[in-house]
Amino acid sequence: MKLFKKFTVTALTAVIAVTATFAGIASAADTLKGKITINGSTALLPLTLQAAKEFQKMHPKVKIAASGKGSVTGPQAVKKGIADIGACDWDASIDVPGFKAFDGQVANKVAVIPFATIVNKNVGVDNLTTEQLAGIFSGKITNWKEVGGSDANIVVITRSFGSGTRVNYQAKALGGGDIVKKEKNYKETGSSGDMKTAVATTPNAIGYIDLVYVTGSDIKAVKHNGIAATTDNVINGSYKIWAYGYYMTKGQPTGATKEFIEYVQSKKFQNGSLKKLKFIPIAAMKG
Amino acid sequence: MGAPVQSLASQTPNKAEHSIINEKRHRRHLLGNRLSRYYFFFSILALCLVLGLVIVFIGKTALLLFGDVSPAEFFLSFNWTPEEEVFGAAAFIVNTLILTALTLLIAVPVSVGMAVLCAEIAPKWMKSFIRPVLDLLVGIPSIVYGYLGLTVLLPFLRRISGEGLGDGVLAAALVLALMVLPTICRISDDAIVAVPRKFRDAAYALGSTRLQVIMRVVLPAAKRGIISAVILGMTRAVGETMAVVMVIGNTPQLAKSLFTPSSVLTSNIVMQISNVEFESTWNYALHMMAFLLLLISFVLILIIRVLGRKRGDA
Repeated sequence: MKLFKKFTVTALTAVIAVTATFAGIASAADTLKGKITINGSTALLPLTLQAAKEFQKMHPKVKIAASGKGSVTGPQAVKKGIADIGACDWDASIDVPGFKAFDGQVANKVAVIPFATIVNKNVGVDNLTTEQLAGIFSGKITNWKEVGGSDANIVVITRSFGSGTRVNYQAKALGGGDIVKKEKNYKETGSSGDMKTAVATTPNAIGYIDLVYVTGSDIKAVKHNGIAATTDNVINGSYKIWAYGYYMTKGQPTGATKEFIEYVQSKKFQNGSLKKLKFIPIAAMKG
Repeated sequence: MGAPVQSLASQTPNKAEHSIINEKRHRRHLLGNRLSRYYFFFSILALCLVLGLVIVFIGKTALLLFGDVSPAEFFLSFNWTPEEEVFGAAAFIVNTLILTALTLLIAVPVSVGMAVLCAEIAPKWMKSFIRPVLDLLVGIPSIVYGYLGLTVLLPFLRRISGEGLGDGVLAAALVLALMVLPTICRISDDAIVAVPRKFRDAAYALGSTRLQVIMRVVLPAAKRGIISAVILGMTRAVGETMAVVMVIGNTPQLAKSLFTPSSVLTSNIVMQISNVEFESTWNYALHMMAFLLLLISFVLILIIRVLGRKRGDA
């Protein structure tokens, strides 16, 4: 028992000593401190988490808490003062279909998110135009043979209203067209993962998703107006279905929040970790 | 407690010293008793407080809805188009009722049949196998049932029905039926076992067959317990969310056929709650739907309590 106690005390002392040493080294080089709370889009969450990890290594006195829910919760949390940064898949400082602008918020671009139209592997069609897509998602085109495929009903899989992916897809791929619910062959899913599973397991299904999710042999991305959905085509400007991901802040960011956003926008992060996570650096886009 | 302590004290020569020690011990015990009582009271109070807060906060937010939308529109309109500020929840309410009814229609005959088998017919070794298996089924997380529904049941339904999608109330009811089946079966089983032996003996003595004994004597005698079991299954069917979301199609419209992609109260809440603004009519409408679910489950639990009390009297 005594031996055990002795051991515990020694161990504790050692831990305290080590912590103190590390803290000492870090604080000597760095004066930045504070707490950053980030809320919002799940699409941007992997990027935020990675950036937070790297940023905290550089500035150990900054505490970052990040969580993901829906895109609109980002700017909302900022408005309510719950979060310093609200990650959002659209520019929430201006009106978008379905959501009003959040006054007094500043949109900071942090990444380019490409999206792809996906179909089940049994679908023979490999190219769809904006008009055809708008027809399919509004329910005017209901059979694959109308767009050059085999004679089979089109099963539309969509995200529920309010999804950032849906906002962007409607604006960029459907030319602002509506997604109209139908009594048959129509289903809404709650997340990118559900979308992928639904399209992968339903024959004749069509849906849309972040390009990073397009993997495996059960789904395939179709061309949009003859252009393949690749990051290269997004960068050279020919593939149009993409959007900026934003960090919304209340007014211009300051202090640790400002430093963090600048780190995410820095060349080092944009061309390193961000690219590895299959986002596209904002600097790659012309205009 | 007092007697043995006294006798112990009288045996020892140093009475005074011992009585002081005993006094101390006695006080310590009293204190422990009192403290533990406070702790138990505190536990139940904390629970009641949380329950009260849930009702108050959900209800408060929910009632804000009627500042923007008339109760008539919310309860009677079948049009749910939040992007155009139209909040008619009738489709969800009706779908919830349809789904629950369909689930019970599938689950009750099967589970009562299984309960009869367990309680009346099966040999001992079979009973001791079936009962633990049913208990295991109760413990399986609902997401697992939902995932099986999505990957196994839906392709199967697609093949036999010729539908493109297969999602709808039938798929959801089949998954739910599997989920509530063990609950209904185990509780009915207990109710049937509780029917006194003499009822059966009397019926047999009058020349009944086994089927007659089961149908005319045992089941009627166990009726209240079986109804409680069914209602308990119902509360689970009404409140189940994750398994339903994966197979129902999540489209806010009335389930006009078994394969119409539709949505119920729970699935609509979980689909939309993360995409709404805090202070919006849409959010209030979702809270009202949650409040409705609370009310429904309260009513069902009340019915079970009333049934249970009557059974106790008999």
